[in-house]
Amino acid sequence: MEEGLFAPCHDSSPAAYPYLSSNALDDLSYDMTTTVNQTLAHPSLHPKNLGILSKKKSWGLHLDLMVLSDSGNIYDALFLAARAALWDTKVPVTRAVEYQGKKGSATLPDDMDLEQESGFDTRQVSRAVDFELPDYWDEGETLAGQDQWPVCVTLNIVAPVYYLDATLQEEASTPLRLLLALSFPKSGPARLQATRLLGPGETQLSQVKSLVQEGEKHARELFAALEAKLKEEDVRRNQRARDRFVLR
Amino acid sequence: MATFDRRRINGPEDSYPPVFDDELDAVDAYALWKIGEPRQGRAAGDVRPIFVKPGLINQANGSAYVETEKTKLVCAVYGPRQSKNTVYSDRGRLNVEVKFAPFSCAKRRAPIRDAEDRSVAVQIHQAILPSVRLELLPKSTVDVFITIIENDGLESCYASGAVAASAALADAGIEMLGLVMSCSSSIVGKEIWLDPTDREVGLAKGSLVLACMPALGSVTSVWQSGDMTPVEAMECMEACQERCTDIHALVSEALLANARLS
Repeated sequence: MEEGLFAPCHDSSPAAYPYLSSNALDDLSYDMTTTVNQTLAHPSLHPKNLGILSKKKSWGLHLDLMVLSDSGNIYDALFLAARAALWDTKVPVTRAVEYQGKKGSATLPDDMDLEQESGFDTRQVSRAVDFELPDYWDEGETLAGQDQWPVCVTLNIVAPVYYLDATLQEEASTPLRLLLALSFPKSGPARLQATRLLGPGETQLSQVKSLVQEGEKHARELFAALEAKLKEEDVRRNQRARDRFVLR
Repeated sequence: MATFDRRRINGPEDSYPPVFDDELDAVDAYALWKIGEPRQGRAAGDVRPIFVKPGLINQANGSAYVETEKTKLVCAVYGPRQSKNTVYSDRGRLNVEVKFAPFSCAKRRAPIRDAEDRSVAVQIHQAILPSVRLELLPKSTVDVFITIIENDGLESCYASGAVAASAALADAGIEMLGLVMSCSSSIVGKEIWLDPTDREVGLAKGSLVLACMPALGSVTSVWQSGDMTPVEAMECMEACQERCTDIHALVSEALLANARLS
């Protein structure tokens, strides 16, 4: 395919949900995988640098999320982890490779019509069929679209108020939750990548409107905080490590 | 060699769908379409004509068949039945199961249960759950089985599935707070297109499905995916809610007509 495949997958360790049977655990995994998959694998978030050879080869990106323990607000944590992992992902740099037949071994008769190379032919038809990694140790370039991966904010609705970051008991006693996955690219307005209303309760459209606005504010703070942390980690791991190596 | 059987004539291990000539397919209305051009075939705010027929399946307590152009699905409701294997609960249980027929999609779907079946089931469950008065059905289960005969996009399945489930529940005589109607929408360029087909969702940058109870004016489910600003999402929700009121009139009329006949 043209630009690569993105397959998020979620798994719950049985230790995280000891009270669920294995079928119920599978169902829970399915549900969380679907939410994360429908959000992150949406064509609008498709990273642009996953292609290797146009229409022939591309990288596949697999994202696996494993829940080791759940004490509420799991979707926020899942999206935070996914964003951090994708922010950190590097795509290896490749070089296109073209194969040429050995000269002189062809047994074609000379009077066959061969296409003459014309000086006026300015088409750039790529005859590359394979690729190689020019530098095996180079981690590559960062995955495109670092600022587009969303963070998720779950607003637990107890009309007319809402609260964030519910523990398991709080979740069990709240009839309605609104999940909002938002990203804040540097250029352009905020992007709402996913909205889900979950739970047996119902609400009014006007409340949904105000909740989306409030959720955007909270998501913006969360996004900025995560961004700061990721940048700090990046500096610590790469820049400082290099400096320490030079000074050793 | 696990599938080799000496007693029988073995066919090939794999089978592939046949490849048809492109000319025999229907012309793609959007083949030369560019962003900014108007919608092909209807106005941006028009939904496809909906056909609802309740009472199609005799052996079920309630049923409904919904068809909107290329989305066809049938819903059967069995219940309230006693839940035998579970602990006592003073609220009833609503169990929604969705099955895509193998011929419902462009590429054949295996008859095993897979994740996409479940995602549609969870979404339809979310849409109709707030409307059903489960507190009147202790120790009971209401089973809703939806079979999708032809499928024109996931959003279309969510929307039509919720409508079919609600109509079937009404046909079964299960007490509800109101009928749940659902409408899908998508943002193409700067316009909001209601009830998009699968092809139109492919052109859109984001889509939204709203399920609400027009009789009470309350929203039961919002599903949105893709790149939208919060303002655009709210506009989609309002457009969907308006359209749901129209669909509600249509479905309640069909239910009344069916009730008068029987």
